[in-house]
Amino acid sequence: MTIVKKKKRVSKKSKTAWRKHCDIADVEAFLEDQRLEERLGKFETKPDEELFVLDTKGEEEDVKPDIKPLSAKQLKRAKLAETPKCFHILINSSKVSDPNAKRNTVKQPGTKSTDLSKLSEKRQLEKGTLQKKLELMKKNKKLAVVKRKKGQTNRQRYDKDIWEKSELEAKGIPETLCDDFISPEAQLHNVPVTKRLRSKPPPPKTVVSRAAVEVPHPGVSYNPSYKEHQELLQEVVVHEQMMMKKQAHLQRVTTGMFRKITPQEKENQWLEEMSTGLPHPHNPATDQDPTEEPSDDEYKAINPPVQNKKKDHKTRRKQKERILEKEKLKRQKIDKQKITDIYKLRKIQASVSKKEQLDAKLREKRTSKRLQRATTALPALNAHKAPVKEPEFVDPKQLTGDLRNISGSASLLRDRFQSLQRRGALAASKIMMTKRKKLKKYYKPGHKVTDQDVDNFMKKSQAKAMATLLRDK
Amino acid sequence: MVSKKKKKYSTGEGAQFMTRKAALKKLQLSLKDFRRICILKGIYPREPRNRKRAQKGAGGIKTLYHTKDIKFLLHEPIIWKLRELKVYQQKIRKARSQREYRKMRLYFRDYPDLNIDHIVKERYPTFVDALRDLDDCLTLCFLFSTFPSLKRVPRDQSVLCRRLTVEFMHAVIAAKALRKVFVSVKGYYYQCELEGQIITWIVPHHFSFQPQSKDEVDFKIMSTFVEFYIMMLGFVNFKLYHSLNLVYPPKLTAAFNSDTEKDLIDEHAYVAERIAAMNLSPAKLAGSNEAEELPEIDVFDTEDKDPEKIEEAKLEAEKVKKLKTMFQGLKFYINREVPRESLVFIIRCFGGEVSWDKDHFVGATFDESDESIAYQIVDRPSMDKQYLSRYYVQPQWVFDSVNARTLLPINKYLMGATLPPHLSPFVDKIKDQVYIPPEQRALNDPNFKLQSDNEGSDEEIEEASDEEKAEQSEPEDPEGALTKQYQQEVEQDSSSEDENDDEKDAEKKKLAKEKKKAMAVTTGVTHKENPYQKEIEDKQAFRLREKLVQKKHRNLYKSMKAGKESRKKEIWLLRKKRRLHDERVKEEKKADRKIQKAQALEAALK
Repeated sequence: MTIVKKKKRVSKKSKTAWRKHCDIADVEAFLEDQRLEERLGKFETKPDEELFVLDTKGEEEDVKPDIKPLSAKQLKRAKLAETPKCFHILINSSKVSDPNAKRNTVKQPGTKSTDLSKLSEKRQLEKGTLQKKLELMKKNKKLAVVKRKKGQTNRQRYDKDIWEKSELEAKGIPETLCDDFISPEAQLHNVPVTKRLRSKPPPPKTVVSRAAVEVPHPGVSYNPSYKEHQELLQEVVVHEQMMMKKQAHLQRVTTGMFRKITPQEKENQWLEEMSTGLPHPHNPATDQDPTEEPSDDEYKAINPPVQNKKKDHKTRRKQKERILEKEKLKRQKIDKQKITDIYKLRKIQASVSKKEQLDAKLREKRTSKRLQRATTALPALNAHKAPVKEPEFVDPKQLTGDLRNISGSASLLRDRFQSLQRRGALAASKIMMTKRKKLKKYYKPGHKVTDQDVDNFMKKSQAKAMATLLRDK
Repeated sequence: MVSKKKKKYSTGEGAQFMTRKAALKKLQLSLKDFRRICILKGIYPREPRNRKRAQKGAGGIKTLYHTKDIKFLLHEPIIWKLRELKVYQQKIRKARSQREYRKMRLYFRDYPDLNIDHIVKERYPTFVDALRDLDDCLTLCFLFSTFPSLKRVPRDQSVLCRRLTVEFMHAVIAAKALRKVFVSVKGYYYQCELEGQIITWIVPHHFSFQPQSKDEVDFKIMSTFVEFYIMMLGFVNFKLYHSLNLVYPPKLTAAFNSDTEKDLIDEHAYVAERIAAMNLSPAKLAGSNEAEELPEIDVFDTEDKDPEKIEEAKLEAEKVKKLKTMFQGLKFYINREVPRESLVFIIRCFGGEVSWDKDHFVGATFDESDESIAYQIVDRPSMDKQYLSRYYVQPQWVFDSVNARTLLPINKYLMGATLPPHLSPFVDKIKDQVYIPPEQRALNDPNFKLQSDNEGSDEEIEEASDEEKAEQSEPEDPEGALTKQYQQEVEQDSSSEDENDDEKDAEKKKLAKEKKKAMAVTTGVTHKENPYQKEIEDKQAFRLREKLVQKKHRNLYKSMKAGKESRKKEIWLLRKKRRLHDERVKEEKKADRKIQKAQALEAALK
């Protein structure tokens, strides 16, 4: 074990060695002190008030003076006189005097009032121009606020005729080129790059061709004639019947498809299924006597193996002959048919033409139906389907024939919304309602329940009971 | 050399469409902003011919947009504005979450507004285009004008809707453009004609606001539509007012400024204020003269020189001209139980003056005691105090008069009377080959006289009217005309034969005479065109033309004729039934009266 001893004597031969082994902390501290004194002033020259505080309070608590806190406006005012924070860095905080005692300070023009400026200022004050200037400034500020507000609410000003300009100008073609004698190529060539002419494809047919406000059925009048109202009711009935038919169809192909069983049957089924393969409990009535076993212990396969029995030549020949004969008979029959067909030619022609006619008729029907469907079909723009238009139903009981007692049943807003969807201006959609978060309910374990909790629970339950009582009353 | 392999769906329908998600990515917008800009710019989702190909092989139904549409959107300057707005929204959200409400209010104050008037111009290059698409705009604006401030609707929207709709109604009043009115259970249907465009809109009945269930209507989307429509309607109003020589922002009552919104909390006061505003007339521009009558229709040598059509158009113009001044100089007084808004609008549209109870509502112009009031509109069975100088009619009289385009006789609409049905003016007039019972005909055509009005000469009148009807229908059905012509020809032939014998003798004498006076000068006889002869020739020409019907149209023509014939027969049958029924009823009545007389006599004798 070797103990590293501190050397008593070290060589301070080189500069680095000197620095390494010399302790200069005291010198440094002294110099630092001196610098601090230079910056903050000498300690001895400071008055006592600056260095010491007279403790007059003793151990008493700090009592805040009852001074009203400054309002936001006052705070702002107070801050107005301060030097802005951004300029703090420029202020010289050091107490070190300028080493160059005779520095030539240059003042910016306007910082110091000259004799001339003093004179003119005085004159201005007397005349009232300064006052006026201040007022003008205030006025301008107000104007700026108003202007900004106005600029925002441009939707309420309709102060120009937007259709006044010619079409070419609206397209972004410079005014100088909007002339009859300038060819469209030249006009287009000079369209500024930012206002490129982008041709917009025409809007969908459904949007253009379908009426926004459909003509009402005369039966929806507040005081309809009997016949028209009956027609409307008939329409409603037909619509309702169709809906019911659809509903019935759905019922039939979904729920109706499955047979129904009673719970008892289900139970039995379950029991049966679950107990397959299990040894049956012994039942002397049905079970065979174990002694009466089948006597022949000969092995019997369930599927006996297939033997490849070869056909002999005779059977093969016979088979071939039979096939040939069949073929021959068939051909003969066809030939015979051909001969008879020659005599039947007119009949065939008639049937062909009849078929063609029928086909043509059917085709026409189909095309017309397709066209009709295309005019009324709801556009499929989304996975959701647009709602089908339902005939407006006016209950005869609601009809008073009186303008005062009209009862509004139809929601016009919904009608408009669905109309937009039916025209294809909007994709049909299901409106997603924001779901309330489900809070998980849990009970506090019994050993953690305090008396406070019990009290709270009692209060709550009492309030609930009171509320229900009040509601019942 | 092997050419580069073409990628699937890089051309054709696959390249033509893009899904909404792709569009969002391309435009760098959120779904909310995309929806908004699509509605503002009039970009609609498309239905492709082949969905599988358009969706680049993907299954299901996706919302597709035209690629060109999206590229068109890409150059819209308001996209940048939307992105700026996003920053604002973030700031507001942050301020709210940090509960720095002062800051939040400041942000709300300085929230930039979208300026979309250039879009109005872009979507509707001409004024007529805008008018053509005004149906939806008006209906929605009228609807939103009844709404209170809602959660997803900007606050000033409904106020602005109120202002703009009233302004529009004033323009319609000044232009006298209203043509048809229909009161349905849903609301009032109005139809007006501006610059040759027919505009139809619905105004809901005035109920208190009915809350909409949230899952039915997307309020945000609807309010975006309204945002655009407000802009459009404002500029349309401006243009309309200027074309009518009116000062554009008309000075309406105080209720239409958003500043005073707080003062009027009562809904009814609001409505009253609105109606009062409608009863004012907007200021005219200085130097504009009052009378600007449209010139009569000029007849141009167009390709279809159908004299009937021209005649029809002239008749229509005449009727419209009459309609415009229907209530001119008439004073109306509306009783307080009658819903006033529509009535004021309609009556003012046709030149009438309106007033109401000044104790209950603001804006009344004259008193009930004014002797010059011509009509008082009431909707109650009886009144205590009645003036002799005026008619007391029910409100339906006004609507029906407008649709009939004349002042209807008031006897059916008097106070307490059971009203005749209010018929729709929007039914097709093409369907003329149907049986119309005389009561309905009297409703449609005020000139038609009902039989029961004057029982003494009802049969004659009916015959006359039947004849009229036949005459009217003559040029329309070729078949009937042809048969008639045939009969006429036969008649003429026989008559000419009869005359021939007489004529032969006369002619001989004449010849002799003429030979004598061969050199004499006689006064000339002007050639007279026999109208009857001309008619026959026309019919013959028609028959010839009928033969020229192309083979492919012949069956259609035949079936048309057959259909016409059958319909005519049906009408005839129904008319006959009616006649027999009427006769029977009359007989029974007579018999009843006789019996009653006899009984009365007996009673008197006893």
